[in-house]
Amino acid sequence: MTNATLSRRSALKAGIGGVAASALAAPAVHGQPRTTIRCGFWDHWVPAGNGALRELCAAWGQRERVDVQVDFITSVGRQNELTIAAQAQSKSGHDILSFPTWFPAAYADQLVPMDDVMGRLAAKYGAVTQAAEYLAKRDGKWVAVPAVSGTQMKPCLGRIDLLKQHAGFDPREMWPAADRAGPGADGWNWDAFLAAAEKCHAAGVPFGLPMGSFSDAVDWVGALFASFGANMLDERGRPTVSGNQKLRAAVEYMARLARFLPNDVWAWDDASNNRAIQGGRSALIFNPPSAWAVARRDNMAGHDQQWTFPMPSGPEGRFTPYLPYFWGIWNFSRNVGPSKALIEFLSERESADKQTTISNGYDIPPFASMNDFAVWQNEGPPTGVVYNYPIKPHHNARTSVAFAPAPPEIAVQAYTQGLNTGLIARIAQGGQTVDQALGWAERELRNFARG
Amino acid sequence: MADAAANRDFPRAYTKAGSLHSERLWALRVSYVSLAIASLIFLAPPFYMLITSLKTNTEMADQTLSPWLVRDPTLEHYAAILGNPIFLTFFRNSIVVTLLVVAITMVISVLAAFALSRMRFWGSQALATGVFLTYLVPDTLLFIPLYQIVGGLGLLNSIWGLVLVYPTLTVPFCTWIMIGYFASIPKELDEAALIDGATWPQMLIKIFIPVALPGIIAATIFAFTVSWAAFVYPTAFITRPDQMPLTIGIVSQLVRGDTFAWGQIMSGALIAALPPVIVYVFLMDYYIAGLTAGATKG
Amino acid sequence: MAPDGTARPALSTRPAIKGRSPGVSSLERLARRRSSIAFLMTLPLILVIAGLVAYPAAWAIYLSTLNRRMTANIGFENYLILLDSETFRMIIWQSCFFALTAVFLKALIGFWLAHMLHNIPTKGQRKWRGMLLIPWVIPPALSTLGWWWMFDPSYSSINWIINVFGFPSIPWLGTPWWARIAVITVNVWYGAPFFMIMYLAALKSVPEQLYEAAAIDGATSWQRLRFITLPMMQNIISITVLFSLIVTFANYDIVRVLTNGGPRDTTHLFATYAFQVGILSANLPRGAAVSLFMLPILAVAAYFILRGVTRRTKEIA
Repeated sequence: MTNATLSRRSALKAGIGGVAASALAAPAVHGQPRTTIRCGFWDHWVPAGNGALRELCAAWGQRERVDVQVDFITSVGRQNELTIAAQAQSKSGHDILSFPTWFPAAYADQLVPMDDVMGRLAAKYGAVTQAAEYLAKRDGKWVAVPAVSGTQMKPCLGRIDLLKQHAGFDPREMWPAADRAGPGADGWNWDAFLAAAEKCHAAGVPFGLPMGSFSDAVDWVGALFASFGANMLDERGRPTVSGNQKLRAAVEYMARLARFLPNDVWAWDDASNNRAIQGGRSALIFNPPSAWAVARRDNMAGHDQQWTFPMPSGPEGRFTPYLPYFWGIWNFSRNVGPSKALIEFLSERESADKQTTISNGYDIPPFASMNDFAVWQNEGPPTGVVYNYPIKPHHNARTSVAFAPAPPEIAVQAYTQGLNTGLIARIAQGGQTVDQALGWAERELRNFARG
Repeated sequence: MADAAANRDFPRAYTKAGSLHSERLWALRVSYVSLAIASLIFLAPPFYMLITSLKTNTEMADQTLSPWLVRDPTLEHYAAILGNPIFLTFFRNSIVVTLLVVAITMVISVLAAFALSRMRFWGSQALATGVFLTYLVPDTLLFIPLYQIVGGLGLLNSIWGLVLVYPTLTVPFCTWIMIGYFASIPKELDEAALIDGATWPQMLIKIFIPVALPGIIAATIFAFTVSWAAFVYPTAFITRPDQMPLTIGIVSQLVRGDTFAWGQIMSGALIAALPPVIVYVFLMDYYIAGLTAGATKG
Repeated sequence: MAPDGTARPALSTRPAIKGRSPGVSSLERLARRRSSIAFLMTLPLILVIAGLVAYPAAWAIYLSTLNRRMTANIGFENYLILLDSETFRMIIWQSCFFALTAVFLKALIGFWLAHMLHNIPTKGQRKWRGMLLIPWVIPPALSTLGWWWMFDPSYSSINWIINVFGFPSIPWLGTPWWARIAVITVNVWYGAPFFMIMYLAALKSVPEQLYEAAAIDGATSWQRLRFITLPMMQNIISITVLFSLIVTFANYDIVRVLTNGGPRDTTHLFATYAFQVGILSANLPRGAAVSLFMLPILAVAAYFILRGVTRRTKEIA
């Protein structure tokens, strides 16, 4: 009935036509009751991204003689989070669901352990990136599988021409599309970053770093704090604010950096930084390739001058903001077996390659061994623009989630409230002293642990 | 405030009396100026949405031009919306849901309002007050238990689930409007009808509904607008595009995370505003006319 | 309106109810039948409210007494924790400020525009009315996106106009007070037409004879407003204000789209904060507690307003 070469258009129609999924399923075997798996995947920002999952599910369903029904749930208006909360409460809904960052841990009690799947995958592909493990492993058990589709990182995305002209370095030379660091890469730390930010600010193309409460903002400040070793919470969720010299150093650095940012960054959302670089008003942002992909699609000026390269490093190393999705199975699902098999299939190298390729390299698999897909080498112009988007061995970088290593149910509260950006905003925008702001943060953090 | 209020209050009855010609002229001028300023402010956002919907993506990204003008207008965003079958589906869903909800709402609230305003029974007084208090429970809180109920009935991801829950948004206010209108109908009228041997249903259909028509239309307009614009419930209950109403359909299809298809969003919003505008154009005249007639006839 | 010619639906000057003429026994029979018919007629309403509002609300109240994992009942602990939080105390204040300011402005602007509309010749009213209603007609979820695009920090079309007049750009969503003003502006823009149309309808149903009589008595326009218009409109004003107050307190879309509660949580309202705590931080019980916080405040307000309305309605009837 269908096959893996579905055109995008027909795939779209299939999704639209009421019985999205049954149309995609393999022909029924007569007289045999068929299993139907209902999946609610994340509605991909890169328009073609959904097609990859749909085709993979169709192919797998045909092979395994299972009906796979695929819904795509957008994160716009937080619809995916609403859906998760509602399904968890009503104990009904999809079998497989895409869970954003904090949700596997939050619903750990209601998710089927995935240790067997993770064990087999790890045996084949090696270790999973640290941050994903922190988010999806509860009490020694994997409660969800780090997904390929939708998982992103937010390294530097800079304008080659503007950085060369105003900041005096060429990111493409420093971080070429090859497995080696170029000249000057050793010195790519937060101090160099601050100097570059100052120059670009003076030249009228300030770095477009959001400082609001949306994830782009919280994530990059979280990565910066991590590279200063500045934890605000410890492993047990207790505040580590007062007397924390590393935190103070990070906060003071941020207060200096904030002076060189556009003065409206406090209200920026996840789209503002994209527009800033697309419109040529910023020389650098922290973002996945979506900003570049849209600029190329609409043929905006300067899109062929964009280049993705690693985050600056700090005293405690280099950390890249990581915003993952996870595939989890509800424990009220009646199709746990086949659902696990489907998730395992979607996580395999070939499937991951397909998802990443169709999404212009946007999707990042959780296994470091998969950071060599051809798509990252070939995308352009400029060719290799996303080569350094996944973490390569020579980056010496780790993935970071803001407010780790606190227990996720406590960290999530600080994360959604944007406590780290709020702390900086109080100082840089609200006129408080560092001590006042830190005192506020500590009181808020203490409250998060209660109840 | 006091002076301003004094100036603005100038009913025609008084002008008919014919005195103070200059005061009338002046009041008229104030009226027109106020209305013009208000219209300018009220219409600026829709106008800007219209302008944006006519711009090409390149022109929108170019921040050196005036945002309020459009250099080379294009209909590509409208064509993209209207040419996409999914948006026609959204449109159909919205219309089906809204019409059904309006119908259900009017039946429920007219019946209830009639009973509550005319036939006292145990608890009727409390119920009449309690109806309004249902709004105290916000939909951002209700959607989780409602998800359970809708899910239990197997109506998730279906416009029928919306038809089921939207009345919680519309019925209380409509019932209240109707109670008010029915209460203002003189009791002599139903007594006379009862003496003539009319049954309650006859009385409702023959007397109350015609007399309270302006109120019914007001309630209809309200129910239409609210169910057309509902956002939280469809966001929570509908994840499949083929069952989405227009409001969340546009947002979910045209916003891709950190990229917004502004041209299409704006054209979609304007298209989405069209049906309520049409409803208003037709019903408002009747509504106001009914009110005016009611007030002047006696 | 009424065929008997009295036709003053909302007037206390209407003749008192005439004696109940039909025989007592038939009246009793009627009353018995009447109450069961009445109950049947109200049944759909009762079902909707009980099933889709009361039951879920009761559940939500129960939910708000559980701990984060929903494994134990912790009584009012969630409420106490919330009151302990600086952020939440600020949100209580903000919600009240937002709702009261917005409703006041909506009522004022609506009242004013209704008067202005009522003033001009009937022929022209239609056009103006149509234009002024537009904000209420565009689904707010979409029109707020339009506003957001107008406020956009780096490409604000409002700032463009301000710049034309030589004033510096305003960081609309970037600083606490401007962001609050922006949120209130959008809410007033959206809600004022509703007030306008409710008031206009009420104004139209004030019998002109009253004004004529007042004119003969030589009343000033302020006196006419104070002693005729306002008393006649009192019920509709109360109901509209109450309704708007409740809906404005529960507002969600505008803040969600415009500011997401920022900068520094200074524009959060109960509903958006409840969403952040309940859904995004996966602490449903505390989110429910946030949502329920405004219930007692509003319930008291509603009780008094509705009692007034019922009393006035009874006086008339």
